[in-house]
Amino acid sequence: MLTLSQISRFYGDTVALDGVDFVVPEDTYMSLLGASGSGKTTLLRLIAGFEEPNHGEISINSKRIDGQAPHLRDIGFVFQNFALFPHLSVAENVAFGLRYRAENPLSNNSEILDRTQEALKLVGLDGFGHRGVGAISGGQRQRVALARTLVCEPRIVLLDEPLGALDANLRARMCDELRAIRERLGVSFLHVTGSETEALTMGDEVAVLANGRITQSDAPDTLFSQPRTAEAARHMNAWNTFDGGLCGDALSNQEIAVRFDQMEVCAPGTAPQDHLSLKAQYLTGEFNGPTALSFFRASDGSLLQIIDHLSQPRLPDLIEGQDYDLHFSSNALRQFHGAA
Amino acid sequence: MQSGILRPALATYTALFLLFLYGPMIVLAILSFQSIDGGPQFPIRDWSTYWYQHLLGLAESSRVSQLPVGESLVRSILLAFMTTVVSTILGVMSAEAFRTKFKGSGPAFYLIILGMMVPGVLVGLGMALLSNTLGIGRAWWSTSFVLHVVYTYPFAFLIMLAIFNRFDRTVEEASFSLGVPPAQTFRRVTFPIIFPGVLSAMLFSFTLSYDEFARTLFTAGRDLTLPLSIYGTFSVEIYPNIFAFGVLTTLFSFTLLVIYGLLMKRFTAKASRFSGQEDAA
Amino acid sequence: MSAISTDPRATSAQTAESPALIRERKDRRRALGLLTPGLIWMALFMVLPMVMVIYVSFWTQTTFAVNSDLTTASWERFLSSSTYLTAIWTTLRIWLIVLVSTIVVGYPVALFIGLFVRNKTLQTALLVACVIPFWTSFLIRVIAWRPMLGTEGAINTILLKLGVISEPLTFLLFSEFSVLVGMTQIYCVFMVGPITFMLGRIDISVIEAARDLGASFGTVFRRIILPLSLPGVMVGSIFVSVMVLGEFATAASLSGRKVNLLGNIIVSQVGSLKWAFAAVAGVVLTIIITAVIALALRLVDLRKEM
Repeated sequence: MLTLSQISRFYGDTVALDGVDFVVPEDTYMSLLGASGSGKTTLLRLIAGFEEPNHGEISINSKRIDGQAPHLRDIGFVFQNFALFPHLSVAENVAFGLRYRAENPLSNNSEILDRTQEALKLVGLDGFGHRGVGAISGGQRQRVALARTLVCEPRIVLLDEPLGALDANLRARMCDELRAIRERLGVSFLHVTGSETEALTMGDEVAVLANGRITQSDAPDTLFSQPRTAEAARHMNAWNTFDGGLCGDALSNQEIAVRFDQMEVCAPGTAPQDHLSLKAQYLTGEFNGPTALSFFRASDGSLLQIIDHLSQPRLPDLIEGQDYDLHFSSNALRQFHGAA
Repeated sequence: MQSGILRPALATYTALFLLFLYGPMIVLAILSFQSIDGGPQFPIRDWSTYWYQHLLGLAESSRVSQLPVGESLVRSILLAFMTTVVSTILGVMSAEAFRTKFKGSGPAFYLIILGMMVPGVLVGLGMALLSNTLGIGRAWWSTSFVLHVVYTYPFAFLIMLAIFNRFDRTVEEASFSLGVPPAQTFRRVTFPIIFPGVLSAMLFSFTLSYDEFARTLFTAGRDLTLPLSIYGTFSVEIYPNIFAFGVLTTLFSFTLLVIYGLLMKRFTAKASRFSGQEDAA
Repeated sequence: MSAISTDPRATSAQTAESPALIRERKDRRRALGLLTPGLIWMALFMVLPMVMVIYVSFWTQTTFAVNSDLTTASWERFLSSSTYLTAIWTTLRIWLIVLVSTIVVGYPVALFIGLFVRNKTLQTALLVACVIPFWTSFLIRVIAWRPMLGTEGAINTILLKLGVISEPLTFLLFSEFSVLVGMTQIYCVFMVGPITFMLGRIDISVIEAARDLGASFGTVFRRIILPLSLPGVMVGSIFVSVMVLGEFATAASLSGRKVNLLGNIIVSQVGSLKWAFAAVAGVVLTIIITAVIALALRLVDLRKEM
């Protein structure tokens, strides 16, 4: 179990991480979701030991690892750019750690060969060992990077936007494979990404990193349907977050969130009595195939989105520039006290 | 760029410039085949390889004394070799240090760069004065050697700095994350990747030292290096044997360059077997 | 660092040293450790000798030796001797002429290679062609001008054969002219390289856009090409200046003792064991070079350009 408590990291005056508390349990696929610049790569680099925190503690199974040299931490790292050794072949890349690591290096060539073959088979690169790392495709490089890390049997594997450099097709396929490989090995993966879809698909659990802190860490469906903070809600890219005062004085000074698919539109003054409502101007629509997005601007300037599934259309015909009432059941509402 | 007359004019000018660069060497090469009774000028009386034989000590006794190149050549090569090793090691170490940001890196940078800026005759004089005062004997392998390193180390440093600027740090971090300690990481990952740069630094150091003469003049003591032997003949009348020597030493330098090219090619061929063949896959 | 220690967040954790601080210090110590041998080498074998030159310039010179009684006698003799003062003037004059002529000779070549040749292979080939002579021995390149410029040399032979002249030109060799020609040829590579490098960085579409808008080549050159190539000219000038100012071999072998640079003064004084005089000449040379480099570094940041 990897535990981070009160981890902070500054660069001069810039605060990258500001008291992160975070736990990655055993045998878990953990996704870490954060916008670019949120410090998610920094967090991984701190865990791996490429950098050190300004304060806080990092421990594995309640043994502190911060302050330890990176090569003694026994933590795997898969880089966004793969960082394969350009002067070595695929098999040499995979065997590298086994051969030259400080703890318990292998010198028996046939054993190294066996383990290398096994790792390559695991990632589906059987027979690619003799190739140069430049002579294989992006997806294959990704697998080499993975095999190279997994063959050393680290206590936990950190993946820094591992799918970022791949095209959309390949990304979808690697998603499934990563999950399958992890389940077979039983080691914890900490997968950092900026895409909420990727985080929700992959993770047994998803943590959201915002403003230098972990704002929520939960199972994907819980996180998606019950975000506990406005930040978490915003990261799902499925929630409108706005000032409760827009819906009347009862909710003033609170940030509230309503999911895109749980808001309705009607002509001004015709909202059902038992629903909360607010006035907003229709800006424009966006057609995405099976779904359509409509954009509204509330009186305080905040942007609201409503999603409509074409199979069950529920929005009236909207005219750009006109005011409408947006309404929703109070069950759909999430309130965040003291947030924002 | 369409500029009418300008382009052909500049092309012609560049051709003339190359003639200006190469002209003297070409004339020197032609005159090195002067006959035994010819002087260091035109016309060529008769084509011969006499002066080459004379240079190598194969000619029968002659009115012109043989150039003292034998032992000084060995000294120069040894000196260049020692300089290459030390300045490349220092250059790699310093450039590696400059990958970390630290206070005082600016002055340190300029202190190193100063080594290639200070005129040889000045440091040469200073070293001669210093060794006189301290009562240390001057010799090519001591006082000259340290000055050669002062001169070539900045070049090696700058080359390695440029190489490290383009170096992708994450491969080192990848190695650490596999449990490989820093020393092994340097040996197995960093060094093989920066090796072409190291080779360039070595080539530079060797050629600069092999040809260096201002820094050696006051500091070599009794045993002369090759450039000093050549310089000694400047004050007296010159003969075509110097031209023959010029041709041979130029050939030697080019041989070095070719060896460097072959090593580089072999290395990059090996590297490209493993990278950069996107479409081959 | 001060920014962190004043941070209220950091003060709460001041009790123990943070791993970040320890790592930072370790990295810095490692960097200094790697750098120290080189810096010590430079201090012992470059700075110390230079200090020694300054020190000895105040020693007492007797006929065959120097002793460490401090005096300004050598300085007084140097600064009142017309031979030495002429040497300073000659050094400055030769330096300026060679500097200007390397720019004048080299700039058009750099312009052609860097801007007009857009084929990478040809560009590299031309640059290599310029650098190759650098690979032959410096002294041999100097001596190669003798059969070129001599009274029975290549140029006179050709001109006589063509009937342009009836008597060999004697000013070609063993004159200031031959020294200038020799130095220009040897050092202009160091001008061509940096300028070409800077010109090669210019985005050709900027120039084409300007031409499309009707700007003449003169205007484009003045407004775009020249300003962008100036750092290259500065870097080249630094190279050429430090090399020419410290020169003596070219003058010694091509001028027939008619041109005496400060470098030649140093060599001849050392030859006659006049160490203190040599040291004075050395200090004067150092002052000149320092002034030139300082001036150039005001105009260009060397660390950035390299």
